[in-house]
Amino acid sequence: MKQQQEKLGIREYVCIAFLMIGMKGTEDTPSMLFSHVQNAAWMIPLLSGGLFFIPLFLLLKTLSLFEDKNLFEVIQLLLGKYIAFFISFIIFCLNTYAISLDTRTYTNIIRAYYFTTTPILVLYGILMVVCVYAAKKGIQRIGSISYILIFYVALSFFFAFWLSMKDSQFESIFPIWGPGTLELLKAGPLGIGLWGEFFILASLISFMTSFKDFRNGTWIAFGCVVIQLSLATMLFIALFDKGLSVIGYPFHVAIRYISIGEFLPNIETLFFPIWLSAAFIRFAAFLFINALIFGHLFNIKEYQYLIPSLATIYLLIGMIPETPIDVALLKEPLRYVAGPTFAAISIILWLSAWFKGEFKHAKNKKNM
Amino acid sequence: MRKKRSLIKPLKLLSKTFNTQPHFVEQSNQQEIEIKKQKISRNYKKNLETFKTLYSIPDNIDVKTREFTIASLNRQALVIYLSTMTKLAYIQTGIIDDLVENQDPDRSIPDIVSHPLVRTVEVIEDILQGINSGSAALFVDGDNKCYLFDTVEIKSRGIEPPKNEVIVKGTKEAFTEKVIDNIALIRKKIKNENLIVEFKVVSKRSRNDVFLVYEKDLVDGELLQTIKDKLESLDTDSIADLSILEQYIEERPRSLFPTILYTERPDRAASFIEEGHITLLMDNSPSCLVLPATFWSIFHSPEDHYLRTPYGNFIRLLRIIALFVALFTSSFYIAITNFHVGMIPPDLLMAIAGTRERVPFPSIIEVLMMELAFELIREAGLRVPSPIGPTIGIVGALILGQAAVQANIISPIIIIVVALSGLSSFIIIDVSFNFAIRMTRFLLILSAGFLGIYGITAVLIIGLFYLGSLKSFGTPYFAPMTPYFLSSRDLLIRHVPMKDRFRPGYLKPKDVVRRRKG
Repeated sequence: MKQQQEKLGIREYVCIAFLMIGMKGTEDTPSMLFSHVQNAAWMIPLLSGGLFFIPLFLLLKTLSLFEDKNLFEVIQLLLGKYIAFFISFIIFCLNTYAISLDTRTYTNIIRAYYFTTTPILVLYGILMVVCVYAAKKGIQRIGSISYILIFYVALSFFFAFWLSMKDSQFESIFPIWGPGTLELLKAGPLGIGLWGEFFILASLISFMTSFKDFRNGTWIAFGCVVIQLSLATMLFIALFDKGLSVIGYPFHVAIRYISIGEFLPNIETLFFPIWLSAAFIRFAAFLFINALIFGHLFNIKEYQYLIPSLATIYLLIGMIPETPIDVALLKEPLRYVAGPTFAAISIILWLSAWFKGEFKHAKNKKNM
Repeated sequence: MRKKRSLIKPLKLLSKTFNTQPHFVEQSNQQEIEIKKQKISRNYKKNLETFKTLYSIPDNIDVKTREFTIASLNRQALVIYLSTMTKLAYIQTGIIDDLVENQDPDRSIPDIVSHPLVRTVEVIEDILQGINSGSAALFVDGDNKCYLFDTVEIKSRGIEPPKNEVIVKGTKEAFTEKVIDNIALIRKKIKNENLIVEFKVVSKRSRNDVFLVYEKDLVDGELLQTIKDKLESLDTDSIADLSILEQYIEERPRSLFPTILYTERPDRAASFIEEGHITLLMDNSPSCLVLPATFWSIFHSPEDHYLRTPYGNFIRLLRIIALFVALFTSSFYIAITNFHVGMIPPDLLMAIAGTRERVPFPSIIEVLMMELAFELIREAGLRVPSPIGPTIGIVGALILGQAAVQANIISPIIIIVVALSGLSSFIIIDVSFNFAIRMTRFLLILSAGFLGIYGITAVLIIGLFYLGSLKSFGTPYFAPMTPYFLSSRDLLIRHVPMKDRFRPGYLKPKDVVRRRKG
């Protein structure tokens, strides 16, 4: 019974997944999508979601063969010690790159919109300290706190979007195919990078109450996030139209733009703490998972103690780019590489399981 | 955790070598301990001598001895008792009168004496313990055993209404200092043979006893064993009060937030026992401890359930708003006026700026000064003798605030902010939780002064994670909300009592279902 308390329930898992990936709608992702396919940007999450559905489905199928093993143990079982180490290392490096630049992006947002005179290092340092504290408490606590917060996060996002509807013009989503269907299809794979986190979340299987919870949770979160991202992008397009191409962080511009009636003109300070809490949770979970991967790579059992040192390294890497523009430029290649890599690994895993006859084996086992 | 300790270890060793404990020479009372281990003698003269030395008679004035002859048996008898802890009438009518007036020479002592509660003991130590807890000891010449009569009567106040957990609707009884009465108050509410009152001695010198009260067919055996082990592991000379025991058995005695519920209301204790919780009672403490306790059980008030559902939920909502107001008003004010000025409507901003024009301090100093003043008034209001209490309140709140504004020490809006947050903090009834909120407020004020909303949010998230990691005897602080457990979902909003179908799952009660459907 005591063991069970240490496990992550489906509610908590969905909340973590939602906060980790849904937060993308509130940073620079929508404007990045817009710069590629203009006013059809809202279709990219749907399209790439549809594309990523296949590798995710195959991944879950493969993982279901080894019920209580997590992603990296499965990679090791299927691909052997050396290739597995190589692949896990690539995943770890991609994550390191992603988390460093993402935390820096968030720091940039905080600095650009709320604390224009505070040194970046102070803002960045506090962000990391809070995330380290949270991550050290373990994924279970991260899940619990995200479950407590998710209601307020969702409510505040909906409230913001609802207020922005007043000034939106939904005609701006036309022409419906944006620059043309061909362009749209070309941009589809680019969007796969949006869902890379679902792949990493598979390393949490051993913390979950059951594999069934993990599978159902993943699908629920995936469905919610696809709709949420698409909806958010659409609302930003409706609100800013062409202007979205020059707006770096549309969510924050949107909450500055809106107001409650005449008497409260600037309400961004109401949304900021909630957005910030969600950001803390996002990076805490990210940090925890990275420490977990690192611990797995180098056989470190007590990986929680890695979290502070890893966070320091991320902070140092994140401090390298001088300006927000540099961050955006550095993030560009990640978008092209991360998504396809994760998708490819999923497919490779499934293929190797298939060739090894694991599926038949499992079927036989079931029949017996 | 292990690694962390290994780092601290050398430091601890170092501090140990420098802070050596002074060497005490304990005076040996080996001889007395030897005596206590022995059995009593047949010769009552010798027994009298033994007890006279042990009790230092005649220096010890409230230890009384009464010697007399039982004529019918032609034997000498001796009664020893503590006059301050016994009822003299019991000894007179129930013991001595019966023995003296008896005519029948064939009857044995238990047959002659009419006092209902008798037990016989032989070892001196046990007799001493009996006398110390208010029994009268009867020695008869020629008998090698002693009769102990339960004649205890301790003076204490009667059952009074609760002072701290005041409610409008519902019972108005509070626990008293007499543990027997307290148990009776609980038994009065749970008339069930499964209600167990267990007894444990927790300290060595004062021999304070703790009573565990629980329902045998509900409580989780593992939890019960954990608590018993914890009580047994206490190694101390004296635990005078339940609130001290609370600190001894808490998991994190240095934490800001309480993990054990302390209540003075028997109805609250009874309702927790019926859910499968365990309560601890102690003599001399007008209260009880409920464990394990979660955030929700500390946050709720018994009145939420006594009032009709909509009213009960209304005061719950008021309380959660009060919690936020008490925590965040002052810090939010500082954050907004110092960092996010754009948030305030321009007219109000001009007004605030106008009143602050002649105040020489930064707003964080203003708020801190006023918060401190409020805490001082509050603490002073508690301590002043009651006839002049209201006067102090008026002097403190009205005159001090008004004068401070006129003297340009603070701006009037600060009074609104501090009064609002101070007033709201009174709505949280639990004493420990109230303190936690008040102290956290200062932390938030400082963080707001440092980095505005960003600082507040950072402290809030760290605080939430800290709360989430708290455990009360294995139960997570936010259970059953997260991690999820089966329960009747009595968290922020409660249902009608008919829907209150489950006992909280985190207690692992033997019977989860309180009420079947249909």
